[in-house]
Amino acid sequence: MPRLACLVVPLFPLAARLRSEPSLKQEAAAVLEGNGNAARVLAATRRARRGGVLPGMSLPQARALIPKLLTRGRDALCEGAARASLLEVAAGFSPRVEDAAEGVVFLEIDGLERHFPGPSPEHDLGHALTVAAGKAQLPVWVGIASSKLAARVAAEQPGSPTLIPDGSEAAFLAPLPLVRLSPAAEVVVSLRRWGIRSVGDLARLPANDVASRLGESGRELHQKARGIDPHPLVPHQPPPVFTEGLELEWPLVSIEPFLFVARAALERLGRRLEGRGLACVRLELALDLEPDGCHRRRLELPAPTREVKTLLTLLRLDLEKTPPGAPVCGFTLTAEPDRPVEAQLSLFGPAALSPGRLATTLARLFALLGSGRFGAPRPVDGHRPERSALVAYAPPPPPEVRPEPRRGHGLLQVRVLRPPLPIEVIADAGPPGDGPNGGGRPRELRQQAREDTARRPAIRGRVRVAAGPWNLEEGWWETENVERDYWDVELAGGGIYRIFRDRGSGEWFADGIYD
Amino acid sequence: MPALLHRRLHTGRELIRRHADLPADPALSTASAAFDELLAGGLPRGRLVELVGRRSSGRFSVVLSALAGATLAGEGAALVDLGDGLDPQAAAAAGVVLERLLWVRPSHLKPALISAETLLTGGFALVVLDLGYPPVPGGRGTEAVWRRLARAARDRRSALLVASPYRVSGTAAAVVARAGGGRPLWRGGRRTPRLLEGLASHLELEKRRGAGPAAAGQPLTLAHPAAYTAPAAPPRRGEATGAPPLAERPGEECRLERLAEAG
Repeated sequence: MPRLACLVVPLFPLAARLRSEPSLKQEAAAVLEGNGNAARVLAATRRARRGGVLPGMSLPQARALIPKLLTRGRDALCEGAARASLLEVAAGFSPRVEDAAEGVVFLEIDGLERHFPGPSPEHDLGHALTVAAGKAQLPVWVGIASSKLAARVAAEQPGSPTLIPDGSEAAFLAPLPLVRLSPAAEVVVSLRRWGIRSVGDLARLPANDVASRLGESGRELHQKARGIDPHPLVPHQPPPVFTEGLELEWPLVSIEPFLFVARAALERLGRRLEGRGLACVRLELALDLEPDGCHRRRLELPAPTREVKTLLTLLRLDLEKTPPGAPVCGFTLTAEPDRPVEAQLSLFGPAALSPGRLATTLARLFALLGSGRFGAPRPVDGHRPERSALVAYAPPPPPEVRPEPRRGHGLLQVRVLRPPLPIEVIADAGPPGDGPNGGGRPRELRQQAREDTARRPAIRGRVRVAAGPWNLEEGWWETENVERDYWDVELAGGGIYRIFRDRGSGEWFADGIYD
Repeated sequence: MPALLHRRLHTGRELIRRHADLPADPALSTASAAFDELLAGGLPRGRLVELVGRRSSGRFSVVLSALAGATLAGEGAALVDLGDGLDPQAAAAAGVVLERLLWVRPSHLKPALISAETLLTGGFALVVLDLGYPPVPGGRGTEAVWRRLARAARDRRSALLVASPYRVSGTAAAVVARAGGGRPLWRGGRRTPRLLEGLASHLELEKRRGAGPAAAGQPLTLAHPAAYTAPAAPPRRGEATGAPPLAERPGEECRLERLAEAG
């Protein structure tokens, strides 16, 4: 069994805060979680604890004891920095380090005794760890044992560092109460009924009988009680950084030569991502400019992909949109990795779209059309026919069995004209007060000779049949309200159109063609 | 060599060509009975089908029926909508499963063609390229482009439906259907309010590559959404039959009230 050291930072949220604000150490201060009067004390300084403030108290309770109690909320940045610092301390001693929890780090210490030639190398190592953590402004307790569980329990004992000789884990744990093994609540109830109070009591029970009565959780707890840790050390691996770049011999001033060298870098990135089964979800480009300066940009992708052609197209579009403004003498491409979505194929149902291929397709469409030009249509509340919305395309999995073909209702559809096309309408006189070209029956439609309507479908001709009007009122409670009188018209030259007259302006529009 | 035997012998190239022409997968059923009849079962996979139709010919309704059929079957479908004319609410009412539909809205023919090819290579079972109405921004596209699209559809075994106001795909299309003769169905007259009740159109088969039984023409009748009534259960013995009166149809009451108000 490898020898393991456990570093525990007591009251970690408070220790992380004191590391950033050392002046609080001498004050009565507490770190809280939650907001307002619902906030609870997570940890308090020694002076506050002497005043009676305990973890779990509400803020009013704590303030009733110490009116001038200084309070701080949890700070993710402080705690993240403290956690990283603790990992660095451990990594300074051993390459095999596990980040187990907030303020808890394990490290493998086999072979380190050569660096501590005294009579008790492990004790000296424990001291060295405490001193190194102290330099990083983190108070730590150290426990050394042959299993993670025993090392952690040892670290929480008074008199750091605590050493458990190899093979004596069970004897060390035996007198401790059962709660040190963090058992499940229902298991604790059963063990109490049996009269089991300490770890040693549990370890003495027959393993098979415990497993048959308490199940898998009981079997695991029994193993822990005997000093056998089922969980090995899982070494911490820093997240991989996918960066490729190049310093150019001559500064580049046009986009094509740059894309030529960028393609090679993207291909290298793609191969590295593929090797780890990852794809790029965000691409960052840093351009070194001549004579000095740096130009950075970030490309967000709609779905993870590692296809070079797509990434290169996005890069080209972005550079054409916002050129760097100076010759480029070097560049760095950094891909933020993400795991591609996987799907299960069906034997009997229709084939699902391959998630990887779909992601590439969406990225290509994004590069071709830009955002807001593709997606899954979504119905929108309201009555205006031209309303529409797009959401990200994420189709549900196909049915497991291919369904029988179903017949539709055979409905006549309207092809919507977006935005509504302004037209001139010769109409009968409408009701009094509606103006000369008011809401009467349309007789003839004419195309407006305007620049914005030149490239749109021509709608003109004598009205053969007209049906209407239907009133549409929407948004009268808002500033942009809509009041329209709708007509269905058939023109003598063919074609059925949906037209409306805007009651506010009196103008006519065509907003759909029955087709 | 006897003539009968000579007719039954083929070269390897001929056999490969015949095999390639055979549809390996079942046709993609559309939700339109008339269009399915015309295509002898549905949209063939791996082929380019062109549907030609002028305004108010029922072309867009057939397009949405095809999308409804594919999405109801659980397949992924894409609509490249050059005219930007899709109404999501109406599409949902026509049976299209919107979550399975990818709506692409290019503004020019060239990105529309590239989008269609991208979608075909992306594995969509049905890709519909709708060119809208003339003037189509970007013209007709070249023969080579349409051949390239047909090849992409064949390679991925996807169905490609091109809906256009005039013939565009040339020899690349395996099937060409034409929607025409659209005639609006009006209800009411001088004394009663006039209402658009639907459209009577006709689908004709202009071209079909390869052998296979198919109907030469099919009538296409489309109901206005406000005038549509779900098919009723078969009448019991002794019960009166016939269409329900207009005022009993869903959505018609308020319509009639408004018409009466308008005089």
